[in-house]
Amino acid sequence: MTGYADFLLLAVLALDLYVVYSSRLAACVRASALQGAALALLPVVHYLETPSANLVHVLVMAASALAFKAIFIPRLLMRALRDAGVRRDVEPFVSLHLSVLLAGVLVGISFWLATVLALPAAGTTHLFVPTSFATFLIGFLVLVSRRKAITQVIGYLLIENGAYIFGQSLAAQMPFVVELGLLLDLLVGVFVMGIVIHQINREFDHIDVDQLNLLKG
Amino acid sequence: MGQPALLLIVVLALPAAGAGLCLLLRSARAVLAVLTAGVLATGLVSACLAAAVFGTGPLNALGGWLFLDALSAYHLVLLALVFVLSTVFAGQYFRHSPQALDRRSARRFGALWFGSLAAMTLVLVSNHLGLMWVGIESTTLVTTFLIGVHRSRESLEATWKYLVICSVGIAIAFMGTLLVGASATRTLPVPSDAMLWTRLREVAPLLDPAPLKIGFLFILVGYGTKVGLAPMHTWLPDAHSQAPAPVSAIFSGVMLNTALYCIMRYIPVVEAATGRTGWALGLVALFGIVSMLVAAAFILFQRDVKRLLAYHSVEHLGIIAVGLGLGGLGTFAAMFHTLNHSVCKSLGFFCAGRLGQIYDTHDMRRMPGTLRASPLWGSGLLLSLLALIGVVPFAVFMSELQIVKAAMDAHAIALLVTFLAAAGIVFIGAFGHATSIAWGTPPEEARPQPAGPVDALLVVFPLALLLLLGLWMPQPLRDVFEQAARVVRPVP
Amino acid sequence: MGVTILHLSLLLALPPLLVGIIARTKAWFAGRKGAPLWQPYLDLWKLLHKGAVYSRTTTWLFRAGPIVSLAAALAAGLLTPLGAASSPLGFSGDVILFAYLLGLGRFFTMAAALDTGSSFEGMGASREAAFASLAEPALFLVLAIVCVPAGTASFAEAWASPWQTWGPAHPALPAAAVALFGVLLAENSRIPVDDPTTHLELTMIHEVMVLDHGGPDLAFVLYGSAVKLFLFASLLVHMVLPVPPAGGALGAGVFVAGAAAVAVLVGIVESVTVRIRLLRVPQFLVGASVIAALGLAVLLYRGTP
Repeated sequence: MTGYADFLLLAVLALDLYVVYSSRLAACVRASALQGAALALLPVVHYLETPSANLVHVLVMAASALAFKAIFIPRLLMRALRDAGVRRDVEPFVSLHLSVLLAGVLVGISFWLATVLALPAAGTTHLFVPTSFATFLIGFLVLVSRRKAITQVIGYLLIENGAYIFGQSLAAQMPFVVELGLLLDLLVGVFVMGIVIHQINREFDHIDVDQLNLLKG
Repeated sequence: MGQPALLLIVVLALPAAGAGLCLLLRSARAVLAVLTAGVLATGLVSACLAAAVFGTGPLNALGGWLFLDALSAYHLVLLALVFVLSTVFAGQYFRHSPQALDRRSARRFGALWFGSLAAMTLVLVSNHLGLMWVGIESTTLVTTFLIGVHRSRESLEATWKYLVICSVGIAIAFMGTLLVGASATRTLPVPSDAMLWTRLREVAPLLDPAPLKIGFLFILVGYGTKVGLAPMHTWLPDAHSQAPAPVSAIFSGVMLNTALYCIMRYIPVVEAATGRTGWALGLVALFGIVSMLVAAAFILFQRDVKRLLAYHSVEHLGIIAVGLGLGGLGTFAAMFHTLNHSVCKSLGFFCAGRLGQIYDTHDMRRMPGTLRASPLWGSGLLLSLLALIGVVPFAVFMSELQIVKAAMDAHAIALLVTFLAAAGIVFIGAFGHATSIAWGTPPEEARPQPAGPVDALLVVFPLALLLLLGLWMPQPLRDVFEQAARVVRPVP
Repeated sequence: MGVTILHLSLLLALPPLLVGIIARTKAWFAGRKGAPLWQPYLDLWKLLHKGAVYSRTTTWLFRAGPIVSLAAALAAGLLTPLGAASSPLGFSGDVILFAYLLGLGRFFTMAAALDTGSSFEGMGASREAAFASLAEPALFLVLAIVCVPAGTASFAEAWASPWQTWGPAHPALPAAAVALFGVLLAENSRIPVDDPTTHLELTMIHEVMVLDHGGPDLAFVLYGSAVKLFLFASLLVHMVLPVPPAGGALGAGVFVAGAAAVAVLVGIVESVTVRIRLLRVPQFLVGASVIAALGLAVLLYRGTP
């Protein structure tokens, strides 16, 4: 019987695709919150399957991931959404069909990359590395292909989540401080982005990044 | 833990404490005073640390997490030098309208200024690759707000671009750091050592090459974004042109170099692990030469003087990367060029900033006659631009010449030709710009401001340094460059 | 012999019941009592006793359409096990034939629709063709997920021991199930892809193709589509439920319960979602393909031990 970590990671992948597929911003934010929750469960499940790490460490990781990735940041984004009064990312730079296809290609590339890298599997699951790359790359796709500042933040969240998953596979090697550092600056990073979005909205009356085009050359 | 090792902690704590103190102060004048004192004190500590490192060898603290060797000590001194100059300049710059600071923004500026000093120091003194990354990330977060000290549509746009592009770069660098750590997990008996640079360097030939190579690519692109290497440089001209002049000076003078320093740390490890085939060096040189070409193209048709200087940063960081990529004498030249570029570029931004206040614009078509409008700042800008493009008596020419010689030694003909072509385009473009704004009649609305002795010192000191190093390099300084280069250079 | 009789009786008798269950579920959600579960049987009975009217412009193709598609669906039904370890006509490679039989049925339905010369029916046929071409890759990917771990291309072998399929394919199965459910909704013209109860030709896909059929022909069409739904449901049941491989009464019981549950699920989906715009249907189907591809990637990827 393979592990539940596989299920979680598959759910993470499916949520990546959902973010690419959906044009409604609120749905994207909710998907990212759900992904955060799955990522918070990940260290716990991983610990139950292969109890190698320190339990306290695992619980702190899970709790902080839950607090930031699943609750705090999505709430912040939801508030930014409400304040800005935007609901959809209409006409993204890359059409939604094409994005979904591209995301599929990126997943393929991730699995190929994971095969090339041949890193030692962590615990019972082989999926850590490919899922991490896929989430990372799909985050990029969302970041570059969407028009709204909030979608870009969600893309950035996916990128961070990808790095987090990769970090999980190395949990034994990565001391505490670095992981907390990741969470901390994720928090601050998005917080900063939130403020800036707010300011852009106030100064320009919109949050379309393609209209930020005063500076050229 | 010896006395110098304790200083490693002090040099981190001092600016951090200063940041806290600035938030409590009551007036803008007090903030600037505390800034000057704090930065000077940090500079002194840095100098003591560097003296200890070059005298007795590398320092360790906090169980090997903090570490200072010749490379980082050299960069630490550079950091201190540019920060001291820029802090003094900030005192002058913010005294004049329209950039005068009120109490709240002065507090914020002081705290952020100290904060960025602390973050960059953290990058330089950490041996732990994760900690180093945390330093770069916090540098970005802190400096984000420095761009928008004076809020406007343009500065907001620049802030957003800076934040998004650099955050993404940093996320990539994090992934790279993890991959490099992962490459060592099968090798090191204590896995938590996998993030310590000194341990990695020792076991480098045994590392797993596949993850290390991909990791280095991520590192190069990730930190390269922060360095401003093309094609990830797009944030740089916007941020540099919209930030207040002292901030532009530290951006260009040290922040870019700090990010490049991170890449330097990985070069010897990757080279040793890939069997010294020059794979990593080639990549670094490639990014360097592409940056030079891109910058040359933009310099040729530039209209904004601060953007011009920003593209010069892209070009010069590209030159340093080319030097690193060549190895041998090139590494030495890269170290030398780092100093020259930082000093010269700080001077350039000082002058451009003050001239901008005088003319109330940065558009070079509307700023003729800078020499007449302000003899001090006008000649400073002219000479710094000339020095930047490699006019003869200045040190920049010497370091570029050494890189050319290194390329000849390495028989890298294609690289050499591209290098010379790019440098030539930059020379033609920037020479035209420099002369067109220097002479002529200043417009009526220019408001000349008196230049005091501090101003004169800010212009004369960097110029004198550049001139001196161009004509004669003292042996101790040569040793410093050589020792720093030896850390980066793959052992033949 | 007994197994074959059981198989045939399940295949012939059950499909209209699923349609009845879906209708009942929807009625329950709408707060109505709804028609009795056997209503579809009565409808078929009524239609079979009517006469048929054929337009003078149509040819034999128009008459062949319903018959061939029903025959193809029933033939496909002989290939897949229905709660038992074996199927009457199962052989190695029947998986591929299964998909092509469904394709054959669709082709004749579309040909019959085009044969009428009506612009509406032509439009329906073109939509059907477009969406089917997108649903087919998803179906094949799902079938690949089913077959690869067992190392066979036969339904009977792949499902001979369901828990063995579950073992190595573990994380891939949910992906395959989700994708298959998406294909099921699309292939059987259910909400959110198509609305079987709509009467607006402009928005219909499947129903618009069979507008001109009446009487026994319409009965064949309805019965054929019920069989198709039943077949997809049977795939889903075998994939998700641990149907005992030995077959027999217990296997049949679990299977029927599972099929009923799938029908209820379809009813729920139809009640709580709305039909998506036609323009977004391809996206829905591409999404199903991508999820199935994801499952296949997970299945094939073994990493390093």
